Amino acid sequence: MRALATTAVLALGLALPAIDTAGAVEGKLVLYTSQPNTDAQQTIDAFKAKYPKVEVSFVRDGTPRVMAKLRAEIEAGAPQADVLLIADAVTMEGLKKEDRLLAHDKADVSAFPTGVHDPAKMWFATKLITTGIVYNTKAALKPESWLDLARPEAKNQLAMPSPLNSGAAMIHTITLTGNLPGGWSFYEELKKNGTLAAGANGDILRQVATGEKLYGMIVDFMPIREKAKGAPVEFVFPKEGVSAVSEPVAILKSSKNPEAAKALVDFLISKDGQELALKQGYVSAHPNVALPAGYPTRGAIKLMPFDAAKALADEPAARKRFSAIFEG
Amino acid sequence: MTLAAPAEFRQTGIRPALPKLALPSGLGLPALVLLCATLLGALPFLRLLAAAFAPGWQFAPEGALAEITSRAAVNATLHTFETAGLSAFGALAIGGTAAILLAVTDVRGKRPLAFALVFSMMIAPQVAALAFLSLFAPSSALLGAIGLSPAPGTPNPLLGRGGIILVMALHHAPLVAITLWTGLRSVPHALVEAAQMEGAAPATIVGRILLPVLRPQIIAAALLAFVAGIGNFGIPALLGLPVNYLTLPTLIYRRLSSFGPAGLPDAAALSLLVALVAGLGITASLLATRRAGGKVEIERPLQPFWHLGGARPVVAAGLWLLIALKLGLPLLALIGEALTPALGVALTWQNLTFDKFAEVLLRQDVTVRAFRNSLLFAGSAAVILALLSIAFAYGLERRMGKLRRVVEVVIELPYALPGVVLAIACILMFLKPLPLIGVSIYATPFIILFAYIARFLPLALKAPVAAMAQIEAHHEEAAKLDGVTLWQMLRFIVAPILAPAAAVSGLMVFLVAFNELTVSALLWSSGTETLGVVLFSLKEAGLAGEAAAVAISACAVILAVMLGLDALGRKLPANILPWRI
Repeated sequence: MRALATTAVLALGLALPAIDTAGAVEGKLVLYTSQPNTDAQQTIDAFKAKYPKVEVSFVRDGTPRVMAKLRAEIEAGAPQADVLLIADAVTMEGLKKEDRLLAHDKADVSAFPTGVHDPAKMWFATKLITTGIVYNTKAALKPESWLDLARPEAKNQLAMPSPLNSGAAMIHTITLTGNLPGGWSFYEELKKNGTLAAGANGDILRQVATGEKLYGMIVDFMPIREKAKGAPVEFVFPKEGVSAVSEPVAILKSSKNPEAAKALVDFLISKDGQELALKQGYVSAHPNVALPAGYPTRGAIKLMPFDAAKALADEPAARKRFSAIFEG
Repeated sequence: MTLAAPAEFRQTGIRPALPKLALPSGLGLPALVLLCATLLGALPFLRLLAAAFAPGWQFAPEGALAEITSRAAVNATLHTFETAGLSAFGALAIGGTAAILLAVTDVRGKRPLAFALVFSMMIAPQVAALAFLSLFAPSSALLGAIGLSPAPGTPNPLLGRGGIILVMALHHAPLVAITLWTGLRSVPHALVEAAQMEGAAPATIVGRILLPVLRPQIIAAALLAFVAGIGNFGIPALLGLPVNYLTLPTLIYRRLSSFGPAGLPDAAALSLLVALVAGLGITASLLATRRAGGKVEIERPLQPFWHLGGARPVVAAGLWLLIALKLGLPLLALIGEALTPALGVALTWQNLTFDKFAEVLLRQDVTVRAFRNSLLFAGSAAVILALLSIAFAYGLERRMGKLRRVVEVVIELPYALPGVVLAIACILMFLKPLPLIGVSIYATPFIILFAYIARFLPLALKAPVAAMAQIEAHHEEAAKLDGVTLWQMLRFIVAPILAPAAAVSGLMVFLVAFNELTVSALLWSSGTETLGVVLFSLKEAGLAGEAAAVAISACAVILAVMLGLDALGRKLPANILPWRI
């Protein structure tokens, strides 16, 4: 993660050669994703413009639910998804360990610095999505630090997504508790301050934008996009740094259409695909793609360190701990 | 299973030359009815019992008992009882008042009032919840327009216990009203006339005569609202989950959606807890209605006898105010939300946009597909159930004898279980490939269709069974003398008589299934999204305006179907459409 942001600024990537194998790829493709519907549809539309013979359908839900569905299907012996485009690499690492992912050896990752994608080419980062603070512009306190959220001004006014509903929130929880000096006691303080932890990022956006709550922890693109449309919200990259997920894409070994799946992966990490991410308001994983309006420069975004392997091991415990603090 | 009935019909139908095969007065139909009831009713329930108490087919009730007695489960049970119980009282007060006013007074505009009341029930609970939620948000376009915007940072008053109770009470009020209208129809007008001759005032007649006579129906209506409240998922999901106020159905949903199949035994155990709570309500309701006693011979059903005089416009205004609160305001709030360009922006004439509608109706494949799927699933379930209900009505009324009560209870089971619970039972039954044929219907439309048919069968049976009970048996006896087959009997004698009732129950099923969320929330897969699922998903992805646009479009479909039915209703027998009082 850290490697992505720091080296991404410096690295000089090469533009990918235009892919012109469109005619050869066809058939049905099922995408399981945690992208918001609109984005998922735009991604598919852009892909289909290049590969008109591929029929793509998608299932959208929060990462944990997408995974719950996929796991149920694996258990039934009939996984439906060909391609998985979900919030975090930790989940992908888990699937890789279980030998459920297909390596895409021919994927062209020359433009990306090492460390961005899986070295075994089983999953590929598509974006950089950070989690920071959103506040309603009518709020008196303009938070600059995570610790500001535990201040009396934010009492009963903070909402955050539950890691049980959002993959990004899971990584965020593990990152924050691993980096803030207080660790989990920061979350306990938040709970004492009347913080609400439930739902997904979309719920947080709605609550803060409509003024039901004044502050929220949230993924960056939602408030930045909504602000551009005129919503009374502001996004903050707190001074301690932010957590980040890379919205990786992977092909399932059980895919019935690996060729089309590979084409979709190629498209997502191509310059065109990455520029689509920019248009949608995301920080693209591609170092040569500019940042969307409303973001500081790549170098100014400070990422908190994060260990994916450790996170994978810590996840069940973090889930339980979070649940005990906020759902008891 | 959905093929079982048609296959049987086809078999006997293809060979009319062999009438003996059909056993005109024999066991063919009862066996078929029993088989369907077992498949649709008993099997899901038994599968749930097994999953909870014998996970992995080893009897081990400890896990289930620990889950049922966990703090989360106990809290959720208490929450379920208090929201369902208090909202049932609310529904009784609101729906009961409306039902009696419309049935006994000479208030103007009864038809549109009743229509609007029933229409408000057809709006999916999660849509109603979403509408109320946006209505009371600090940024509410509506509150803003009348200068009543709460200060930013004011929590939405509808989130949590109070909001759930209020929205549920309003949502189930029409259910109470419909039940009471049916009861009021069976009150002989002579009772009122006798009281009037004694010089009793209308209020006295209502209080001293009507209410006591209607007591069984009042209790039944309250319990119906109570059971509906226990199983309701959409309202506590939208108003409770964001503040961690969990009822049993939402607790089950959260367990299952976060932990996948690993959470199944726990979810099954919790499901049995819901079934237990709902079962208490159903048993109480059966006891209450049984005390109703024998049928009364009615020469003339109840007529409006309360002349309001000067109070007429006041009463009408009151009823319209209720409709405005229950139907108008939420719809306006939804429209407002769908037309604003961004969350938290005030709606003005300059900035209103139809973009959200265009997005969900024209650009998004998934929402378009969801409309098509919901039409298809609800439509297929309606057609299959309408056909099935004819065979069932005839079988139950004429051929089952003492078995009838048992079959009826078994059929009622899936309707009594909350939708989430039925969905879990279906996953458990169909996750692995089916024995013998080795095909899995999990992740296909058929699992949703199966669940819809199991869930809505009792709903589909109500009208045809009632109609069958009123039909004299002489046609059938004459036909029997001619030696017709069972198929011929059903096709040429029973079906034409029951057709109107079956058609209407099919349409009622369509209306309920079209906006359904609770069952499909767990059963959908790629390509089989239903409207309810898409709405919930849009909202969670921060696309509240798009969610509102879907909700409004769905309401428009429902309204169109109901208006069509109403136009058709002039040709139908009386008392079939619930809003034609």
